[in-house]
Amino acid sequence: MTLIVLLLGLAVGVLVGLLGIGGGVVLVPAMVYLLRMDQHLAQGTSLLILLPPVGLGALREYWKQGQVDLRAGILCALGMLVGGYAGGLIAVPLASRHLKGLFGCFLILTAFLLWRKPQPQNPLANSVGEETARG
Amino acid sequence: MADGLLRNASIFVAACVCGVASGLFGIGGGALLVPFLALFFAFGQHRAQGTSLIALIPPTGLLAFLAYDRAGYASWKFGLLLIPGVFVGGVLGGWLAKRLQPRRMRQVFAGAMFVLGMWQAAAAWWR
Repeated sequence: MTLIVLLLGLAVGVLVGLLGIGGGVVLVPAMVYLLRMDQHLAQGTSLLILLPPVGLGALREYWKQGQVDLRAGILCALGMLVGGYAGGLIAVPLASRHLKGLFGCFLILTAFLLWRKPQPQNPLANSVGEETARG
Repeated sequence: MADGLLRNASIFVAACVCGVASGLFGIGGGALLVPFLALFFAFGQHRAQGTSLIALIPPTGLLAFLAYDRAGYASWKFGLLLIPGVFVGGVLGGWLAKRLQPRRMRQVFAGAMFVLGMWQAAAAWWR
């Protein structure tokens, strides 16, 4: 069991580095279905996992390539700290069933957003990686 | 610089929206932040991902986590077991992202999430 959990973490981590996401989107359903957790418990545990800088190793690879906007990143961190508290207050009193359904809708929405190919209208948005992505 | 100020303000507001989703769904918020940065602020895909990762370095979910933990909704045992894997996997993924074309990966991932989302919503409300 412990081994499965460790491997699950590793698999999620690969996605974190590859896609630049937090990992919670994968962690929450994985814990609900593989570890048989309740929706609230899975979400709280996911937030716990994301407290330490788990993406630091992945960030290093992007940093070396100059693919990081430090100022925008700091602004985003501040915004998410504030918004996160509001979201937590909304989620805790919700019935587990509704929270699970809402999470499902959120996954569908995110899937659409991720699928769309971003169109960089602005070539100033210094996209070194974009050239390889386009080829 | 007014232009820059407006842009910064919009980025902050977009991040607040990601934060609400983060707290509401117990996720990091990057899954929303990456497409936001790419679609609304014309970030290249790699740059959006790198910037999202830096936004996730500080414990942005701390306040949300406290709200959950107070209600007893956090499993410390599984949480602590998952952390090292996610970290090591992250290094691997970051290394892979330079070598792969992330677009295909993203679409496979989006497809999987779509199916998973439908399944979860149906399982929750279809009874």
